[in-house]
Amino acid sequence: MDPALEYHHLQSRRQFFQGAGLKVGSIALAQLLSQKALAQALPSKADIHPALPGLPNFAPKAKNLIYLHMNGAPAQQDLFDHKPQMEQFFDKELPDSVRNGQRITTMTSGQKRFPVAPSKFAFERCGQSGILMSELVPHMKGIADEVTMIKSVHTEAINHDPACTFVMTGSEVPGRPSLGSWLSYGLGSESQNLPAFVVFTPTVKNPSQALFSRMWTSGFLPSKYDGVKLRSAGDPVLYVKNPPGVSSGDRRAMLDALGQLNEKSFERFGDPETQTRIAQYEMAFRMQSSVPELTDLKGESKATLEMYGPNAQKPGTFAHSALLTRRLIERGVRVVQVLHRGWDQHGNLPKEIKNQCLDVDQPTAALIKDLKERGMLEDTLVVFGGEFGRTAYCQGKLTRESYGRDHHPRNFCMWMAGGGIKAGMTYGETDDFSYNIAENPVHLNELNATILHCMGIDHSRFTVRHQGLDQRLTGVEHVNPVKPILA
Amino acid sequence: MFRNPPALQLVTAVLSTGGLFAEVDFNRDIRPILSDHCFACHGPDEHERKGKLRLDTAEGALKGGDIGDALLPENPDESEIIHRIFSADLEEVMPPPDANKNLSDEQKNLLREWIKQGGEYAEPWSYRPPETSPVPPARISDWPATWIDNFILDRLHREGLEPAPDTDPVTLVRRLHFDLIGLPPSAEEVGRFLKEWKDNPTDCLEKTVEELLSSPHFGERMAMYWLDLVRYADTCGYHGDQDHSISPYRDYVIDAFNDNMPFDQFTREQLAGDLLDSPTIDQKIATGYNRLLQTSHEGGLQAKEYLAIYFADRVRNLSNVWMGATVGCAQCHDHKYDPYTARDFYALGAFFADIDEAQHFRVGTNNLPTRRPPEIDVHSKRERMRLAELGTKLSSHTLATSEERKALEAELAALKKRQRKTMITVATKPRTIRILPRGDWLDESGPAVEPAFPAFLEKPGNPVQSKRLTRLDLANWLTDPAQGTGGLTARVMVNRFWYLVFGSGISKRLDDFGGQGEAPVHPKLLDNLAVEFYKSGWDIKHMMTLLVTSRTYRQSSLETVDLRERDPYNRLLARQSRYRLPAETIRDNALAISGLLRTSYGGASAKPYQPLGYYKHLNFPGRKYSHHADDRQWRRGIYVHWQRQFLHPMLRAFDAPTREECTAERPRSNTPTAAMTLLNDPSFVEAARVFAARALSEGGPSVDSRLAFSYQEALSRTPDEEEIRIMKQLLSTALREFESAPAAAKALVSTGMAPAAGSLEIIQHAAWTTVARAILNLSETYTRN
Repeated sequence: MDPALEYHHLQSRRQFFQGAGLKVGSIALAQLLSQKALAQALPSKADIHPALPGLPNFAPKAKNLIYLHMNGAPAQQDLFDHKPQMEQFFDKELPDSVRNGQRITTMTSGQKRFPVAPSKFAFERCGQSGILMSELVPHMKGIADEVTMIKSVHTEAINHDPACTFVMTGSEVPGRPSLGSWLSYGLGSESQNLPAFVVFTPTVKNPSQALFSRMWTSGFLPSKYDGVKLRSAGDPVLYVKNPPGVSSGDRRAMLDALGQLNEKSFERFGDPETQTRIAQYEMAFRMQSSVPELTDLKGESKATLEMYGPNAQKPGTFAHSALLTRRLIERGVRVVQVLHRGWDQHGNLPKEIKNQCLDVDQPTAALIKDLKERGMLEDTLVVFGGEFGRTAYCQGKLTRESYGRDHHPRNFCMWMAGGGIKAGMTYGETDDFSYNIAENPVHLNELNATILHCMGIDHSRFTVRHQGLDQRLTGVEHVNPVKPILA
Repeated sequence: MFRNPPALQLVTAVLSTGGLFAEVDFNRDIRPILSDHCFACHGPDEHERKGKLRLDTAEGALKGGDIGDALLPENPDESEIIHRIFSADLEEVMPPPDANKNLSDEQKNLLREWIKQGGEYAEPWSYRPPETSPVPPARISDWPATWIDNFILDRLHREGLEPAPDTDPVTLVRRLHFDLIGLPPSAEEVGRFLKEWKDNPTDCLEKTVEELLSSPHFGERMAMYWLDLVRYADTCGYHGDQDHSISPYRDYVIDAFNDNMPFDQFTREQLAGDLLDSPTIDQKIATGYNRLLQTSHEGGLQAKEYLAIYFADRVRNLSNVWMGATVGCAQCHDHKYDPYTARDFYALGAFFADIDEAQHFRVGTNNLPTRRPPEIDVHSKRERMRLAELGTKLSSHTLATSEERKALEAELAALKKRQRKTMITVATKPRTIRILPRGDWLDESGPAVEPAFPAFLEKPGNPVQSKRLTRLDLANWLTDPAQGTGGLTARVMVNRFWYLVFGSGISKRLDDFGGQGEAPVHPKLLDNLAVEFYKSGWDIKHMMTLLVTSRTYRQSSLETVDLRERDPYNRLLARQSRYRLPAETIRDNALAISGLLRTSYGGASAKPYQPLGYYKHLNFPGRKYSHHADDRQWRRGIYVHWQRQFLHPMLRAFDAPTREECTAERPRSNTPTAAMTLLNDPSFVEAARVFAARALSEGGPSVDSRLAFSYQEALSRTPDEEEIRIMKQLLSTALREFESAPAAAKALVSTGMAPAAGSLEIIQHAAWTTVARAILNLSETYTRN
C-alpha cells in the first residue's frame, strides 16, 4: 500500500484507539480487544471518506469539479478558434512553413494534398468580453462572459486511445488514476448518500469512438476511488436495486440483522474493517433512496427544465445528464464527469458537428446559468473540451459545404468557468491556420495543475508512490498552474 | 509531503530499529532517506546531477563536489551534508525548498548519527546475492516448528514481543484452504481435519497441506496471482478492446503450478519457449507471455509510436515480475534512484526485438477475437492427454458394447472441436533497437543497442559475448544464481509467496526492491528463503509447505491493543493477519457454499451474469454480452472473461485489477459498491437461493438445525444463541413479508438459471433465501482469518 494510504488507514486506527482511551502496554495478551469501548470509539460516519490529512493545501476556490469531455475531439476552427485568414487559402495547399513537417496520422499521411478547409460557420464576438464563438453554439454565446477560453491547449498523443488516456489521467500509459479519482482520493467526499465521483456517458446517435473505463477508474489507487457511473438503462447505479421480489422493507430487515451480526463479529475480532463494512452497507442502503431521489425531477421548475432544452427529462441524453450534474453537485458530490461521444469528424464535418452541438450547446449553457443563479458557480469549476484538436487541412473531399478534419494534438480550445477562474477572458493564441500555437501554450499537465490549484491542491506535492516513483497527475516534468487565468 | 507523514515515519522507525537508534543500518535507515530526498539531483542520473556531487555511492560522497567535502566519516559537524540539511538559510538548505522534499528532524538526526558512526555505505540489499545466515537459537525452545520461526521469534524477542497463541484448528483449516486452493473447506473436510488434529496435529497438518498442494485447485489459486503479475487478460486493452486469443496460456500457467514446474523452467518457457530445442506444444503456448501486453490496431496509429509503447511495456513488466525493479523509469533518462541506465532499458528491451509486432497493425481486425499472429490452434495439456487416451481405447478393440464405442467417438469428436487459438512467440530477424533520446520515438538519432544485461549487474568475470544474446539467455541469466541474477530473482519471488500466506511481503514493495522500495523487515530470513528456493530446484510447493507449516503461520490473528499500536500492519508477525478475500475467491466461496460451484478445469473463458448494457461503450465492434446459459455460469473466478476496459463489475468492486500493468499487490478496499454487489449481483442472489434450498432439504427439520447447517457450511462453525436469535427474527419477518406477497417470493427464488427447487414450499424458500443472503454477506464469510 502507498504510504499516504497507509497513513490514512493508520490515522483512523489511531483516532480509534485514542478515543477508546486504551493505553499502550496496559493490557495483557489474554485481554484481547473487546467490544463496547471500541465500538464507541468508532470514527463517526462522516469520516468514512475523509480528505487526506493536510489537504487541501490552501483555501480552495472550487469545492467541486464538473468536467464536460467532448470525446472524439471537436474542431476548434469551427467552434471557438476563428481564422478568417484561412478563407483565402480555400483548397490551397497548407503552406509548408505552417505544416513544418509535423507528424500527422496514418489516416491522412497518404494524402497527396493537404488543402486548407476554412470553417463554413459564421463567428461573432460575444458579450462584453468579446469572446469569439461560432453560430454552432448559440446558447454558449450567452455564457461567454462567464468563461476563460483557452485557445492554446496542446497534448502529446495523436490517436484517441492514448489521447483520452492522457487528458483524463495525465499519462498515455494506462493504469494511472483518473483526475476524478485523484480528487476523490485527496479531497474525500462530502456526501453521505452518494459517491464522491460520478460519471455520465450519455447516449449519442453516432458514437463513432469507444470510451475507455480508464478515463474514470482509479488506476493503481484502490477501486474505492473509481468514478461511479450513473446509467440511463437498467440499474441507475450498478447493483443498486434490490433483487427481484425483495422489497425495501425486506432489505431493511436483512441489513439490520446483518449489521447486528457484523457487530458481533467485530466484538469477537476487533477488526476495524468490519466496522467500516457495516458503515458501507448502510451507505449502500441510503443510495437506494438517494439515487431515485436524485433522478426524480418533480421538484424542478418549468423554467429550469426549459432552460436545459427539450431533452432535459429524457434519461440518457446529455441534457438530462447536465441537469443531474447540477443536482449531484447540490448534494455534495465532489466530481462529476460527463463524457459525450461522437466528435470525431474525419468527414462530413459540418453536418455532423451541428448535430453534436444540438446535443450539448443548450444544456451546457443552461448548466452554467443554473449554477450561477443558485450561487453554486463560485465554488464549482467547470471544464469543457476534447482530447485534442483537428487539422486545418481537409481530410477527404473538400467543398465549401463539406469537409473533414484529421487529429491535431498541437493546439485546441478548452474553456473553464467558475470557482477560481477569471470570467470573460481569452488566453493563448494560434497562428492564422489554427495549426501552431503563437503564444501562451497550455500543456494538458498545466491545465490539470490549474484544476488542482483551483481545488486547493498544490499539484507538485500531491503524489502517490507507484512503480518506484512518486506519481503525480501532472507528470514528472515541472509545470505550473496557468496563473494569468486564475481569478 | 505525503511520502513520509510524521506518524508513519515514527512507525517505520519503531519497526525498523526497535525504537533505538543505537546502530544505524545504511540500507534500512539511511538509503531510503537519501534515495527519496537526494538522489534525484545527486544520484545515478549524470545528466541531472547538480554540483558534481553524487551521493548514491560511497566513492561519490567521499569525493564531494563543487562545495568541497560532503561527507567526513565520524565528523558530522564538518560534513557539508549535515551543514546543509540543518541550515536555516533558504539559499543553502538541502533539499531545496522548492523540491517539496523536506527532511524531518528525525531524519536529519539519523543522517548525523550515521556519519558520526562512520558514514559507511552498504551495497543495496536487493542487488547483493542472498546468502544463508545461521538460524538464530530459539528463546522459547518449543515454539518453532520450522527454522522460519526462529527468525521471527528472534526479532520479536528483540522487540520485546511475544508470538500469539496458535489459532484454533477450525480457523487453521479454513486458512489453509483459502491460502492454498482459494476455496473454503467443506463441512466434511473440516470434520475430518478436526478428528485427525485431535490424534496428531503435526501429522494432520502435514497431510492436509500435502493434499491441498496436490489438488488441481492449487494451480488455479497460484495462477490467479501470476496472471496479475504478467497482466493476463482476454482482450487487447487498447481502443476497441477486442478479444484476443490467449486462454490456453492461462491453462498452461495453472498446469505449471499443479505440476510443480521448477520456477527456472517456468521462466525459460514463458520468455523463450520457442528457442528451446524442439519446443513442445506447451512450451509454445508458454511463450504467450510475450504477447500479453496491450495492443492496438486503431485506425491512424503511428506504427513506430506503438512499437515504442510496446517496447516500454515489455521492459516494465519483465523488470517488475522477475527483477522486482522499475527499469521502466529509465525509458527517458537514467533511473533516478537505482543504477539502471537508459542504455540498460533499451538493451533489456532489445531481447524482444525478434518479436514481430508490426504485423498486427496491418492484419488486426475488428472481429472477435481480433487477429494477433503468430497464433496456433491447440488443445490444452489435459485435452491432449484425453485425446490420446481416447485414441488408445478406440483402437484397442476391447470395447464392450457399441454404445460405449459411440460415446467415446462422440467425446473424441467434441474434444477435437474444442481447439483454441493462442498467441505465441516466433523469433524473427531482430529489428534494430535504438536508444530514444528522452524516450522520443520520433528521434532516431540515438545509438543502436544489442541485447544486454544491466551493466551494474554483470558479474565481473563473465566472458564477453561474441554472439547476440537471446531471450533464452535472458531467462537463464534471471534464474542462474551463479552466473546470473538467480539469487535476486529467488528473493523477489519468495517475498511474494510470503505475501500470499501472510498478507504482506517481508519487504513491503512486491515489485520494487530498488531505492524507493522498502528494506525487508527480516532481511536474513528473506535471504535464507531465497537460497532455499533455488537450492530446492526452484520448488514452489516445497516453499509453500515450508511457509504454511511454520508456527508463525499457525498463530491466531487476534491482537492485543499494545501490539496493534506497535505494529499496526503486522510486519513483525507477532500474530497472523486477517484480510478480506480477493475478488475471485469471494465469488468462488459463495458458489462453493451454495453448492453451485463447477470445478471444471481450464478451457475458454466463462461469462457469468453481467448487468445489461455494461459493454455499451465498447466499439469496433459494438459489443453484446451474453452470459453463459450452461454450467460455465458457475465456474471459478479465474476463468471469468477478463475484459480489460470493462472488467466484470463484481471483480472490479473487489479490487481485481484491469491488468493493464503488472499488479503485484491488490488493494483491499471496503466500499458501498462492494456491499451492493454482494447484496444484489444475481450470481450472489442465485447462490443464496440455492444455498437456502440446501438448508431446507439437507439441514434437518427444525429452524435450529437448518441454521446450524447453514453456519457450518458457510463458516465451519455453529451459531451462538445470539446469532440464532437474530436469524430467527429475520426469518420470521421475512416469512411474514413473503406470505403477504407470494409473487415476490416466487420472483426471488427464481433468480438465476439454476434449476428451481421443485418440491420446496415457495414462501419458506424465499424467507430462507433472505437468511442465506445475510450469511453470504457476513463480514466473517469473506474474511480470511
